[in-house]
Amino acid sequence: MFKKIYKVITILMVFAIFLAACAPKETAPSTSDGSSSEPVAAEKVTLRVLVHQNPPMVEFMEAFNKSFSDKYPNVTIDMSVVNANDLSTVTQTRLTANDIDVIDIFGFANGAQPYMKLVDKPNWQQLIEAGLLMDISDQAFVKNYDQPTIDDAGSFNGKVYAVNLGRVSYSGIYYNKDLFAANNVTVPTTWDELVTACETFTAAGTPCMTAGGKDGWPIFVGAYGLTGAIYPDQAALVEGLWTGTIKWNDAKALDMWEKMKVYAQNMMEPGASGVAGDAAPGRFASGAVAMFPGGTWYASAIEAAEPAFDWGYIPFPGSDNADDNKYLFGKYDQGWAIAANTPNKEVALNYLAEFSTPENYQAFANAVGFIPTQPSATLDTKIGAEVAPYLENFRVGYEQYWIAPKGSGQFANPWASYFKPFGTYDDAKELADKVQADLQSGLDAVK
Amino acid sequence: MKNAKESNGKSIKWGLVASYIFLFLLVLAYLGPLLMLVNTALKTMPEFMKNATGITTSFNFSNFADAWEKANFPQYIWNSIIYTFTATFIYVITAVFVAFPISRKYVKFSTPLLTLFVIALFLPPALIPQFRLILGLGLYNNPIGYIMLFLVNPIGIIILVNYIKTLPLELDEAAALEGCGYLRFVWSIVLPLIRPAVATVVVLHAIGIWNEIIAPTIYLTNKDYYPITRGLIVFQGVYGSNWPTLAAAVLMLTFPMLVLFLVLQRQIVSGLTAGAVKG
Amino acid sequence: MNYHFGRGKSRLTPYLLLLPGIAFYFIISLGPSLATSIFSLTDTTGLKGATINWIGLDNYKEFLFMGQASKDNFDALGRTLIFSVFVTTIQFLFGLVTAVILNNPKIRARNFFRTLFFMPVILGAVIQGLIWSLFLFPLGGPMAKLFEFFGLRSEFLGGSPTEAFIWVIIIQIWANMGITMMIFLSGLQTIPSEMYEAAEMDGANNWQVFKNVTWPLLTPSVNTNLLLNIIGSLQAWQLFLVLIGYRNGTQVLGYLIYAVGFGQTSGSVTSSFRQGYAAAASMVLFVLVLVIGLSVQTFLRRREERIMG
Repeated sequence: MFKKIYKVITILMVFAIFLAACAPKETAPSTSDGSSSEPVAAEKVTLRVLVHQNPPMVEFMEAFNKSFSDKYPNVTIDMSVVNANDLSTVTQTRLTANDIDVIDIFGFANGAQPYMKLVDKPNWQQLIEAGLLMDISDQAFVKNYDQPTIDDAGSFNGKVYAVNLGRVSYSGIYYNKDLFAANNVTVPTTWDELVTACETFTAAGTPCMTAGGKDGWPIFVGAYGLTGAIYPDQAALVEGLWTGTIKWNDAKALDMWEKMKVYAQNMMEPGASGVAGDAAPGRFASGAVAMFPGGTWYASAIEAAEPAFDWGYIPFPGSDNADDNKYLFGKYDQGWAIAANTPNKEVALNYLAEFSTPENYQAFANAVGFIPTQPSATLDTKIGAEVAPYLENFRVGYEQYWIAPKGSGQFANPWASYFKPFGTYDDAKELADKVQADLQSGLDAVK
Repeated sequence: MKNAKESNGKSIKWGLVASYIFLFLLVLAYLGPLLMLVNTALKTMPEFMKNATGITTSFNFSNFADAWEKANFPQYIWNSIIYTFTATFIYVITAVFVAFPISRKYVKFSTPLLTLFVIALFLPPALIPQFRLILGLGLYNNPIGYIMLFLVNPIGIIILVNYIKTLPLELDEAAALEGCGYLRFVWSIVLPLIRPAVATVVVLHAIGIWNEIIAPTIYLTNKDYYPITRGLIVFQGVYGSNWPTLAAAVLMLTFPMLVLFLVLQRQIVSGLTAGAVKG
Repeated sequence: MNYHFGRGKSRLTPYLLLLPGIAFYFIISLGPSLATSIFSLTDTTGLKGATINWIGLDNYKEFLFMGQASKDNFDALGRTLIFSVFVTTIQFLFGLVTAVILNNPKIRARNFFRTLFFMPVILGAVIQGLIWSLFLFPLGGPMAKLFEFFGLRSEFLGGSPTEAFIWVIIIQIWANMGITMMIFLSGLQTIPSEMYEAAEMDGANNWQVFKNVTWPLLTPSVNTNLLLNIIGSLQAWQLFLVLIGYRNGTQVLGYLIYAVGFGQTSGSVTSSFRQGYAAAASMVLFVLVLVIGLSVQTFLRRREERIMG
């Protein structure tokens, strides 16, 4: 049946091309480049690698690819770079088309928990169940990574499908040491100190904070510290929300919303919504603002923008109690997986093995600034030193556990960006009620 | 050619003044954003960050060199031209041969066929099954597959059908009496007569292909095949923070497109005015 | 109708020549659209090798009736309609007025104006988006300066959803007014000058000439433009993608379908692929466009028959 249809289609295509070719000499030469992408000789291999846009990482990968090709001259590496937002779309289409060998995949998260009802599987699980990711459990290079990483960020049903390359924290604040000294401001350890610090800067004509609001999420990512200070165990938070023991409009949460309002309206500089995600580090490094709430991955961009600039990094002080503000929340970032149906299995495995050698991995971690996932590697960079005191308090963040119940509204998230001027809400209580109602609606629907 | 507004003295002037005011406001809306683009393209990044609107003092032309080096824009433009041209050409030729017999009811089921095209007007783009179709044909990441996506456009068929209805039937009879065959009749007599409609269809269809941004994301992964839209999105993803370089890239792309349009505009307009004879 | 170009084998010529166009249409457009309606009854993810389950009307139930999410969907639907109404009417009016003005031979530099207003069409959605993001740059961009002058401030595209939505409407009109204008211009040029002369002889003023000569004779262009604008704006979402991304309070149906089908809903990197659900959403959009489009078309045809006889 299908063969027949394909035959008909082929005939039609031939006919169409014939028709076009016989018409005045204007046919474009495009019909001939169709086959040029296929490998020419059998031993020459083109390895297709997909990564998401992250400038220091891409720069490192280009150097790494070159050294790999030098070592194995028969291998050409064709690396595609896509926006982080497009990564899952392109992964989906290219894996389905069997058009990719090695893919960049974020640490496995959002797995369905027993107390969750009727949830969709996260995309990585869909990929594994469709048989699109290769089982790499038995590969020697997997052993180079620490066991928690393998278990938490790359395994499913006891098999390993990805190696994760590093943890990042997103609940910290970069601060400008010179501006702090010039204005006699001490590094804040509690929420009140942070508020006072911001008031001092604003009074002195320096906006307090910036963020890459054009991309949406960077506005609220800094405020994860506010959620974290109140709910240090974020997995328990998710379970509480699902089972109804925690509500987004209870007294505890209301305190968080009040603070988020201050964050969005008094701390964040007006106009932050126009700053692109990757422009924010540059704006901070230029000395235009005093603080920059954001992830550890921005450190290398700050250094690149202004090498002599002196900055520090602290956990976001979301609580009035300094002891609650020692946690860094974060996630597993980029990882590697191999397409199950790759025609270049050996080369792909070799590529990851080469990447995973301690020397190469160390160079990667230094370039990108991830908190390493190989036990032998160290984070030698400045940001490494800054986060070192908090590493034992590293926690996986809420959004890595959270799956919204089907039917819940679009506001069922603890995001500071719902407040004016980035959103529509001006009243903390009103927003809290809306968020809880949106969540409750989903919980009721899946009961 | 004389026109409506050549009447008595007073109203002409006021009409003209109002017209110019209206045009002036529109020009502001159209030129303003463009001037901002030019200004930004000539700035350095720190200069932009300090004062986004200030007139450039540095005349930093290196942005253009930067943008030129960082992306393969000539290739992207060339790809866009090829896709647009090939697909529009094949589409319009096949569309004329669909529209003519339907309009004349020279084939069976002409009316239901036309109804099908009217319904097709409202169909949302079937992204998902189309993707599987192209995959199944082995035309993923392949310019031929990409062009194939653009060989259909129901509105064009409808415009053509309606226009062909205005041609007198006697034309067909006379041509047949002269011994003119069907193919030759459509090609060398009907086609020139419906040029205004064809011009409209060509423009509408070509614009759609030229501006497409979703299909290249889904269907083309090799950067050698990127049309300009996709190339720019990727460029923006990589250099998005650097407004001056981005603005320079956009400006560099604007010029060839404008030239292309100015060249084609004469064709379009002359094609359109040819219809004036018919009324 | 009588076919004049021979019998027997040569009677087949029109069929043969019709075939490629019809075949493209069936394969590329109609077939996949039918497939969409079938996919909408399954839980397909769009991944090769994944199991597909037949789930009946569940996707529709979820889309239309399940909790707050379905209310959000209806909001998106309403927003799609609002977007379409504003874009269609304003773009239509501006296009018409501009075309009438530019058809007046007394206006100078008509070619320049025409080119300038048509230019955004040539530049395409990506460049349109970039130009406007720059123009609306909230940290001291030109529009921010203008607002400041009046003592206002705004985040523009990153601010309140309603405001961002209004900006997208404005930019959509800015971007596509040129097409409307061009179609009207070509229509205006088909109006014979004798008609105007006759009206002048009767002593008609500008408005009367427009009302009694230009407007009725412009009917074909009016119809083309209205239909193009309505259908185009109901399905348009590229500018939303380029200008603001997938944000609460700004989604339209077309964008929703893409985001759900290709895993871009929350900006979260692990959102799932739900092409079955997306297919159901596209069927809803189809019905909406079909109902509105067909009624507008019927209305226009009646009107045309009345005017043109």
